[in-house]
Amino acid sequence: MEQSAISEPETRSEPVKERSDPSIIDRSVRIPVLIFLASGVFWLVVASGFWLLASSQIHTPAAWWTFPGVAWLSFGRAYPAFLNCFVYGWATCAGIGVGIWLLARFSRVPLRDPLFPILSAATWNIGIAVGVLSVLAGATTGKQMLEFPSYVAFIVLLAFVIVGVWALTIFWARKPGPTYVSQWYILGAFFWFSWMYATANILLNVASAPGPAQPAIGWWYIGSLIDLWLTPIALGTAYYLIPKLVGRPIYSYKLALFGFWSLALLGGWTGMAHLIGGPLPAWMITASIVARVLMIFPVLAVAANFHLTMTGKFEDLHWSPALRFAVIGAMAYTAYGFEGSLISTRTIAQITQFTFVTFGHAQLGLFGFYSMILFGAFYYIVPRLLDRRWLSPGFITAHFWLSVVGIGLLLFDLTMGGLIQGFGLQDPQVSMSAVSDLLWPFLLIQNFAVLLLVLANLAFAVAFALILLISAPVKQRSAVIEASADASEKIAPEVSIA
Amino acid sequence: MNKLTGLFFGVFLLFGLSWLALAAYPYITFAGLQQNKDEATGALAPPGNPGTADQGARVYAANGCFYCHSQYVRDKNEGSDIDRKWGKRRTVARDYMFDRAVFLGTSRLGADLTNAGDRQTDPQWFYRVLYNPRATTPESVMPAYRWLFRTQEIQGQPSANAVKLEGTDTPSPGHEVVPTAEGKALVDYLLSLKKNYPLPEAPEPTE
Repeated sequence: MEQSAISEPETRSEPVKERSDPSIIDRSVRIPVLIFLASGVFWLVVASGFWLLASSQIHTPAAWWTFPGVAWLSFGRAYPAFLNCFVYGWATCAGIGVGIWLLARFSRVPLRDPLFPILSAATWNIGIAVGVLSVLAGATTGKQMLEFPSYVAFIVLLAFVIVGVWALTIFWARKPGPTYVSQWYILGAFFWFSWMYATANILLNVASAPGPAQPAIGWWYIGSLIDLWLTPIALGTAYYLIPKLVGRPIYSYKLALFGFWSLALLGGWTGMAHLIGGPLPAWMITASIVARVLMIFPVLAVAANFHLTMTGKFEDLHWSPALRFAVIGAMAYTAYGFEGSLISTRTIAQITQFTFVTFGHAQLGLFGFYSMILFGAFYYIVPRLLDRRWLSPGFITAHFWLSVVGIGLLLFDLTMGGLIQGFGLQDPQVSMSAVSDLLWPFLLIQNFAVLLLVLANLAFAVAFALILLISAPVKQRSAVIEASADASEKIAPEVSIA
Repeated sequence: MNKLTGLFFGVFLLFGLSWLALAAYPYITFAGLQQNKDEATGALAPPGNPGTADQGARVYAANGCFYCHSQYVRDKNEGSDIDRKWGKRRTVARDYMFDRAVFLGTSRLGADLTNAGDRQTDPQWFYRVLYNPRATTPESVMPAYRWLFRTQEIQGQPSANAVKLEGTDTPSPGHEVVPTAEGKALVDYLLSLKKNYPLPEAPEPTE
């Protein structure tokens, strides 16, 4: 039973006529993909440390662990160190790794020149390390999510462009055949990220944008980063994993198309809904609110498509950890989309803006949606890359439940605390310190929820280290892996679009 | 191949729209902002920042002040900012035209600082809060920023900017706590935060 709990479901298939052995493709991308995935796990662990530190400092500001004399361990530096490690270290490394693996799978040709992505991964890691050290040293730009100084941003961009161009060549070299919506999402994401990251860093940190333009560009960037980099990577992954693991094609081709194009249209406009009432022209903010509210349509399209694909197959969740993570992540995306639309309306934003509701929302997106789907992808991809099995069902189960309970508790706690904070801030009779007083228990629970998530991340890291370092290679590619791989080539994992 | 070309154009054009409107357009248009000249008094608004403020803004950024403090005032019908006396009027784009670094912020765990230099004009108040926030407000959740200060032996006369500390924070006899260059720059910056001058596009709300 232990073994079956951690192996993917088997799908019977007839021999495929034109065979391109996926294991050969896997072997050709093994090193670059593994480097990106391992880097992601490493930065996830580093991020967890800073996350736990920052979240324990915020409720007890006079405690010794706030390190009042040690600048680099203070909240104001630990918190951005966490966010940057998490987004550019974990989320982006993992996203690149999974993205190039998927592109290689879809292209059905073994890769050439793996030196380029390896070089890119090395450069990327240097960039993140220097960037995080700069944040800790106080050499930051003071722009949220763009804290890295411009020379670090240059290194990071260079690394990304190398792997991005290389990813494009994978796509170019693909075997003739249908293209899939996953490929669209991933290629789009690679393209959009290079563009947004270059623009934001050049305009803000090199060409020193005029003061009032800074928040506009900064929030254009953050909105795009979430909706046109992280979201398409995770959706592209889920569009591969879910149909593949339940062994049937995606329900609707038209819905998938609609979801992709509406996201592409709206994604760049969502950021400034965080600045309702802010010092920018009213049309910019109104356009962003409209975009955020309309975002409900791509969210619904994706949710409906996944749900209808899964209908009657929900018992598969029991068998496959990859599917379990991916499906929870997809559900979190629906919740995230709904909440995002709600808290962007002017009426509700009056209460929730500036409060922990927005922090809970961001975590729901970053952890509940993005990271969960990427975890699922790890559980699916890593055994195929290494020809090994996950060693430790205990760690995987712990990872899953700690993640689900942790993010649920964090969301509930920050939303409740944030609403109380929001109603407090709304009433000028309630002093700021009275608001902090009301918040205190919620900040304490938040610390506990973060602890659960940190433990989840550690369980994941241990499971990853075990399969990487200890698990013995499967001598012959096991029947299960082989069969499911064959099946995957036969059953269209998603809609063909071109 | 047609559909793929369509894909690339679509992906490019759709994002390009937001790029034009929300990145390129603000970059160009806000560079052309002009000060407002008061007809009656001839006063220019916004008046411009003292030269010391830029260095302090870097200290503000380095220590992540903007993760808990915002720097903009919403109009009366959009929140309680004006009732909380965080500003007399909402802030508009022109208010930030001289700021090298703008920290609007997204969290209000602490008070809004748009007009911090109007509310408190005494540098000592800021020094005491930065050294030990709980000395002035016992419930404060703000961290202490001790690395912006140093304790030194008093040479002759006590320094003019020695921080007046009480209780357990009092330095040992013959010693004093003075702000470092960074600490002084930060407080200079906070004192420079004043956006209560009148602007025609943001009239003070009438009750």
